[in-house]
Amino acid sequence: MPTTLTPPGTRGRTPAPAPARPPRAPAATWVIPLILGAVTVFGLWWIDVRPAAIAAGFEDITRLLGRMFPATTGPVPELAALVVETLQIAIAGTGIAALVSIPLAAGAANTFTGPRWVQWLCRTLIVVSRAVPSLVFAIIFVRIFGLGPAAGALAIAFHSVGMIGKMMTDVFEEISAAPREAVNATGANRFQVFVATTFTQALPQMTSFVLYRLDINIRASSILGLVGAGGIGVALQRSIGSLDYPRAAGIIAVIIVLLLVLELISNLVQRAVSEHAGDTKHSMTFPPGKELSSPGWNAPRVGRSAGLLAGVVLFILSLSALSISPDRLARGWENAVAMLTGFVPPVFTAEIALGLFESLVMALTATTFGVLIGLVIAVFSTDHLVKVPVLGWALRGVIVVVRGVPDIVYAIVFVAALGLGPFAGFLALAISCTALASKFFTDALQNIDPGPIRALEAVGAGRLQAFVAGAWPQFVPSFIGNSLFTADLALRESAVLGIVGAGGIGFLLHESVTSIDYQSTAGILIGLIVVVVTVEQMARWARRKVI
Amino acid sequence: MTLEKPAAETAQHSPSITLDGVVKRFGDNTVLHGVDLEIHPGEFIALVGPSGAGKSTLLRLLNGSHSPTEGRVQVLGREPVRCSRRELRRLRTEIGFVFQQFGLVGRLTALENVLMGALGTLSMPRYGIMTYPKQLRERAVENLERVGLVDQRFQRCDTLSGGQQQRVAIARMLMQDARLVLADEPVASLDPAASISVLETLKKLSAEDGFTVVCSLHQVDLALEVSDRIVAVRDGQFILDKPTNATGEPEIRAIYQAHRGA
Ligand SMILES: Nc1ncnc2c1ncn2[C@@H]1O[C@H](COP(=O)(O)OP(=O)(O)O)[C@@H](O)[C@H]1O
Ligand SMILES: [Mg+2]
Repeated sequence: MPTTLTPPGTRGRTPAPAPARPPRAPAATWVIPLILGAVTVFGLWWIDVRPAAIAAGFEDITRLLGRMFPATTGPVPELAALVVETLQIAIAGTGIAALVSIPLAAGAANTFTGPRWVQWLCRTLIVVSRAVPSLVFAIIFVRIFGLGPAAGALAIAFHSVGMIGKMMTDVFEEISAAPREAVNATGANRFQVFVATTFTQALPQMTSFVLYRLDINIRASSILGLVGAGGIGVALQRSIGSLDYPRAAGIIAVIIVLLLVLELISNLVQRAVSEHAGDTKHSMTFPPGKELSSPGWNAPRVGRSAGLLAGVVLFILSLSALSISPDRLARGWENAVAMLTGFVPPVFTAEIALGLFESLVMALTATTFGVLIGLVIAVFSTDHLVKVPVLGWALRGVIVVVRGVPDIVYAIVFVAALGLGPFAGFLALAISCTALASKFFTDALQNIDPGPIRALEAVGAGRLQAFVAGAWPQFVPSFIGNSLFTADLALRESAVLGIVGAGGIGFLLHESVTSIDYQSTAGILIGLIVVVVTVEQMARWARRKVI
Repeated sequence: MTLEKPAAETAQHSPSITLDGVVKRFGDNTVLHGVDLEIHPGEFIALVGPSGAGKSTLLRLLNGSHSPTEGRVQVLGREPVRCSRRELRRLRTEIGFVFQQFGLVGRLTALENVLMGALGTLSMPRYGIMTYPKQLRERAVENLERVGLVDQRFQRCDTLSGGQQQRVAIARMLMQDARLVLADEPVASLDPAASISVLETLKKLSAEDGFTVVCSLHQVDLALEVSDRIVAVRDGQFILDKPTNATGEPEIRAIYQAHRGA
């Protein structure tokens, strides 16, 4: 089953066959766990995680869940409209991001021949866009464009440009240069050469990234309403604000069902797309048409055209639903200028540093828990060690459902049950890290070469011995790589949990924007970008050392 | 060394290409050591020589991809180094280029790849066969017919054989109505049968349309078979320049042998 959140580059990776005796492990394989372990010990003290607190928290949560039932959704038409708005935000935002990413990636790729500063600018924009979570962009755009889905769609677009742009850059750099040179030699201009060759060659991969990102963005847009940026999150925010827990529970249930249905649809679409990619390979792309020079129609061509048309229509409909008028744009422009000028000079206080630090500690501590529990779940979901298929299916089902709930929703529940503070955020992150890590590890364990295990079993090794000696060495690189990726994602999440009071920098960020203290906003954003980019670079470095 | 005058020079046209003491260096590496050459309209020149001799560099000088370190390169009455970006693009629309690696977009049909040859006459980018004007589409089909691939016009290029792909690339080149065609090892990745058939197609088209061809080859027998005139390059110098019918095979073989012996 294709994942929604598989880290790029580890997707479908099949490890090289394990050598008879694994080579000495690189330093990163023990340094990274050591660092994580140290941070975790510190984090447990900082966040004040005690078994007693967890036990007490468990009671509080049970009591809260009791107050949530019987769940109710409130007026259905209103909720349905918000569901539609959620999809519109995601589609419009993803579409804008895709369109913006094309020139940005063309400029960022090492094949770009224009001025150096343009390339630098494109690369910087991509990095910054990736580092700032969509919920943070949403806070900013709500300030600029006012409450509503326009802010949400722009937030989605601004954050998605980073990932789509990065992936497109990689594709542009990898595709063959021969067509580009050949068409360039015919005297076509740069723009024509780009469209005819680079763009055309990259199109299938670009389409799959955009669909993959759309899937992520629907998740993201379902919670943007928490800061007033439209979508179903608006209803969630309202019911929590008025302490209407049964309604909040109903809305959370709707979000979960929505995301699960979409996961299913996205799997079906991806399968259809990849099957179609195969069937034009060995036949004519088009049948003969009316004239020699015009192609005729066949089922695949009809399918492709209909898919394209549907995409364009959906995008335009979604855009127009955002009700962006010239008037509103003008006012937004004024607000944006006011904010940008308000950013100077940025202010960086000890409080901000503390908030960033807390986000980092929450994320890394939760990652450790998530990775350890996730590993256990993954081992039980695959049949290398335990051969109980039912158990595997059940665990995978639970993980899918748990992953269906956005992190911040867990945070809301924990804050309501346990009160404000990093403990609620830590628990929320630990749950989502567990779900994420177990998904990654399950996929990785399923992909390992069973040969060495079989061989060891054949010579009479016990199942645990065979697993440790035969499977573990193959699994270590993807274990470390995926753990780092989990930490990377957790950090971005933990930066926004403060918006609902679950600790970290998000609280200060939200407050600085709503109280128009833009100098602090700028300081927080710069600090956040620096921390996220640094952690990402370290993770990338470590991953290269290990894999 | 004195070079014999090529027979075709009696033709009363201004030369397609004139090289005048051309030196090309990449850093300290001198790739062409002051070469002179005159090529006349309609000639089919085979540029032979071992790998690393400087053949590709020479062809790139001719379409303005490289500029000479010293000396003068004149192509179709213009000097690529003196051309502005726009003028260079114009010049390139008049020079067809055929590559060893074909340079086709594999996931597109043969027809669409051929149509790309006409982009230089259009101002905007195109995507999809039907975005090109009808008259260009008809010419593209004709050109595919001329290289014997009209039935494959809607086939993905990456499903064609190597020889077929190079024919598609030639049909794309034909869209330019070029007066000069440069081909850099066009058959180096093809099997012998496809090689000879591709070169003969190129020869036939050049005879019909009257375009000049400068084609680098490393197989001597093919050069003898299709060219009017052979220019042999070794270590950045022309060591032979003769009409093909006045050149014996042993004479050229000797070039390679002398090189290997050295
Ligand atoms: N862009 C370049 N930069 C530096 N050196 C080059 C470049 N292109 C070619 N050369 C050098 O020029 C020499 C001749 O290369 P080339 O013209 O490709 O030979 P041929 O096509 O005859 O095999 C080689 O030594 C090669 O390394
Ligand atoms: Mg060469």
